[in-house]
Amino acid sequence: MISAYYLQIIILVGINIIMASSLNLVVGYTGQLSIGHAAFMSLGAYVSAIVTLQTGLPFIVSLLLGAAVAGLFGILIGIPTLRLKGDYLAIATLGFGEIIRIIFLNLKITGGAVGLRGIPKETTLLWVIGVTLLSLFVLQRIINSRVGRALIAIREDETAAESMGINTTYYKTLAFGVGAFFAGLGGGLFAHYFRYIHPNVFGFMRSIEQLCMVVLGGLGNMWGAIIGATALTAIPELLRAGAEYRLLVYGAILVLMMRARPQGLLGESIGQTGGRSLKRRKTLFTKIKLFRRNK
Amino acid sequence: MFVQQLVNGIILGSIYSLIALGYTMVYGIIMLINFAHGEIYMFGAFAGMILVVFYDVPFFLAFLLAMAFAGLVGLTLEYLAYRPLRRSTRLAALISAIGASIFLQNLALLIMGARPYTFPSPFTPRVYQSTLLTISKLEIIILAISFLLMIGLTFFIQKTKIGKAMRAAAQDIDTASLMGVNVNQIISITFLIGSALGAAAGVMVGIYFRTVTPTMGLMPGLKGFVAAVLGGIGRIPGAMLGGLLLGIAEVMAAAYISSQYRDAAAFAILILVLLFKPAGLVGSAIQEKV
Amino acid sequence: MKKYRLALVIMVALSMILMLAAGCGTSQPASEPEGAGDEASEGTSEETVDVKVGTVGPLTGGAATYGESVRNAVQIALEEANENKEIPGVNLVLVSEDSEGDWSKAANAFSKLIDQDGVNVIVGAVLSSETAAGGPIVMEGKVPTISPSSTATDLTVGNPYLFRNCLSDEVQASQLAEYAIAELGFKRFAILYTNNDYGVALKDAFEATAKEKAEVVAVEAFMDGDEHFRPQLTSIQQKNPDAIFIAGYYTEAGKIAQQAAEQGISAQLLGADGFYSPVLVEIGEQAVEGAIFTAGFFSADPNPVVQSFVTRYTELFGEEPDMFAAQAYDATRIVIEAMKKYGTDRESIREGLAQTKDFPGITGLTSIDEEGDTIKDVLILKVENGTFQRLR
Repeated sequence: MISAYYLQIIILVGINIIMASSLNLVVGYTGQLSIGHAAFMSLGAYVSAIVTLQTGLPFIVSLLLGAAVAGLFGILIGIPTLRLKGDYLAIATLGFGEIIRIIFLNLKITGGAVGLRGIPKETTLLWVIGVTLLSLFVLQRIINSRVGRALIAIREDETAAESMGINTTYYKTLAFGVGAFFAGLGGGLFAHYFRYIHPNVFGFMRSIEQLCMVVLGGLGNMWGAIIGATALTAIPELLRAGAEYRLLVYGAILVLMMRARPQGLLGESIGQTGGRSLKRRKTLFTKIKLFRRNK
Repeated sequence: MFVQQLVNGIILGSIYSLIALGYTMVYGIIMLINFAHGEIYMFGAFAGMILVVFYDVPFFLAFLLAMAFAGLVGLTLEYLAYRPLRRSTRLAALISAIGASIFLQNLALLIMGARPYTFPSPFTPRVYQSTLLTISKLEIIILAISFLLMIGLTFFIQKTKIGKAMRAAAQDIDTASLMGVNVNQIISITFLIGSALGAAAGVMVGIYFRTVTPTMGLMPGLKGFVAAVLGGIGRIPGAMLGGLLLGIAEVMAAAYISSQYRDAAAFAILILVLLFKPAGLVGSAIQEKV
Repeated sequence: MKKYRLALVIMVALSMILMLAAGCGTSQPASEPEGAGDEASEGTSEETVDVKVGTVGPLTGGAATYGESVRNAVQIALEEANENKEIPGVNLVLVSEDSEGDWSKAANAFSKLIDQDGVNVIVGAVLSSETAAGGPIVMEGKVPTISPSSTATDLTVGNPYLFRNCLSDEVQASQLAEYAIAELGFKRFAILYTNNDYGVALKDAFEATAKEKAEVVAVEAFMDGDEHFRPQLTSIQQKNPDAIFIAGYYTEAGKIAQQAAEQGISAQLLGADGFYSPVLVEIGEQAVEGAIFTAGFFSADPNPVVQSFVTRYTELFGEEPDMFAAQAYDATRIVIEAMKKYGTDRESIREGLAQTKDFPGITGLTSIDEEGDTIKDVLILKVENGTFQRLR
């Protein structure tokens, strides 16, 4: 028999894999920096929990409803904000994430600052494994399809992609919506596992944690997101032995890991990530280096 | 009431501006979101508090020493956490910055403990009151110091040789290097100045709000970053403007909309501004070359 | 790339197996301590058995100061019990886990304490959200848990393993409102509350009671950890209230008092048990002078139990205990009493906690009702010359 603690960690790993791989679609494959992924998770969590509590519909229905609402919000938020570039997009998604969190904190139906208690426990290990594998499968299919190639084209060079006839706004919004949908699924599982939700864990630090999973694992690599999510869920728990040094070590590990493997654990060594401005910057530094060497 | 709220907003905003400057200067040159800037601000506040409270150092000297100390922390941070990643992706550097931020916050927590330290105001409390406006001596001093520092920085960047080199590097690090600018040195100086300004904000917040805690950098750090983006990240006048605007927006939202939605309203304004000016208030989209 | 992938699959599979194996390996000792109590009673030797007591609370992050207070106080209570050999043959061991102030991490901490460490009882969690997330876990794990500070309404209802030892928000806020109207004669109130479960519950109760016999002219909110309250205070000042009820904790309350004074607000400050800490006076200085608030604990209480706790706490940690510490100390004392009377295994402790009646704690006479909630007296204190004086 597996202990309840390990079971809980494995379930969290599963949920985080869904979160990281869906974020990977947006950040890693499409090259759009989002720091508001946790907000979509909270939408999925709250909508599914409220549906379950108020209507008593089967878990699968409330889970899908939560995910659908999250996906819808993804599209609604994506349409205006995805015109923004790089860090401006990042900060706009962060802003939306905080707004959604504050609204949940003040609404009556969400339990406001008291949180929502008494959600029935529906999420089991089987559910998590099933939903995780299904999400990974669907995401992988998207990436390997025409759509996926369009997304990667946008990441590599948006202007070029546009001139090749790719409707960049459409594809970016699509990626954002799909990412939000799966984040919503993760949120639904999360809510029905803990049986309690409160807006405070869906703040920007949670979004940043999810971004760390993606980058640490390797941007634009499905396995990377899986490894990143597993590592960053397990490490803080393993470090519990370190008592008060726990988060100190955790921070240091992040810095050292990035130093050791800047491209992420499974990232391609060069190229691949981040879009044009980044590449320009990279070539600049190579040029500078060459220049110095020749001097 | 409106005038009072406006002044409340300007004071808060001037602090955000100082923090935003540290973000924007670094970003302007190496395009890194220095996520640990909020922690530098906190280290500055702690340095100032410790010098004043435990070693009885005169306030203004402590203020300068705290700025110097935070500058050194910033330099070290750049050397250890960012320089090795200078040639990798921006996101890698961002994650390194997040790691550094978590590390520094918990280092302070380990050394100083979680209990808030009080930072008594070094100035005799005095309040100036009129029908329109109530303002304390401390607030006037904070405003004065903030604006002096901002003017000083503008002067430094516009008139000195190093400032010129910084501007050149911000515009095109490649060409600047070809012109004989020592890029490493400029980046170090940028971190030094940006961190020192963050520390100045930290010390002032410490005396204004009277406490110093290891987690004090989190929200102001975020707000400073938001302010920098609002103004147009990488642009020094933008950071000043963005900070003031954010401070005023936040206060007005709390005063006239709902204090429950204070931060939400501030973010909503930010998003609206970005939708109409996608590169911030004073930013322009000239960098979009093919 | 193919090879890469295969290697990875193997890696993931291996790590999963390892985790499962570890899970099996370490889940065993969890059942051991359950029988520890019996062993102790059977055994005639002088050897002591370790009984683990867990705490969950924020030790990092913005709320860490509250979590530290709780852990410190639990530590003192356990040390005292061990020194005095209160429970024969039993050595109480503290295992404290960090929640980072994040309830999902608190849930992990609860699970770890129950399954990995095999604690017999948990004192915690600190924040209401953490306890709400931990509730179902301790119920499933059948581990009695007593929170020293989670005041959220109905938190313990329907959970036979969850108890708490703190003043009810409703009771203290409505008593304060009545006192302020009847004894102090205030007619116009403003409320400034922190937008979390604690602040909201206090605000609702205070507002409801105050509205019956007086007027509530302004209600403003702020967030946990906020530092700048000028916009809210300016709005409140416009309404010219007699008194401002600050529903929040001491760190924010001290700052609010300062900023109110700087702004020339002279209204009476009122507060709840969240005010109770020497930090309030350190931050607020002159500005909190005269503030009136409810509390369950009073460090100048001549009661020798209170004095010995205050002395010991101050010696060990270099500061006076706050409300969190006092309530955590009592919660732990209640646990120790339960162990003495009923036994040290999980079920016995649960039974003992549920039967708690008129326990003479440092936070007053305490009983636990059938829902696991506490019944205790509300004190009303006032800040005078930088110290707390009892009004009622």
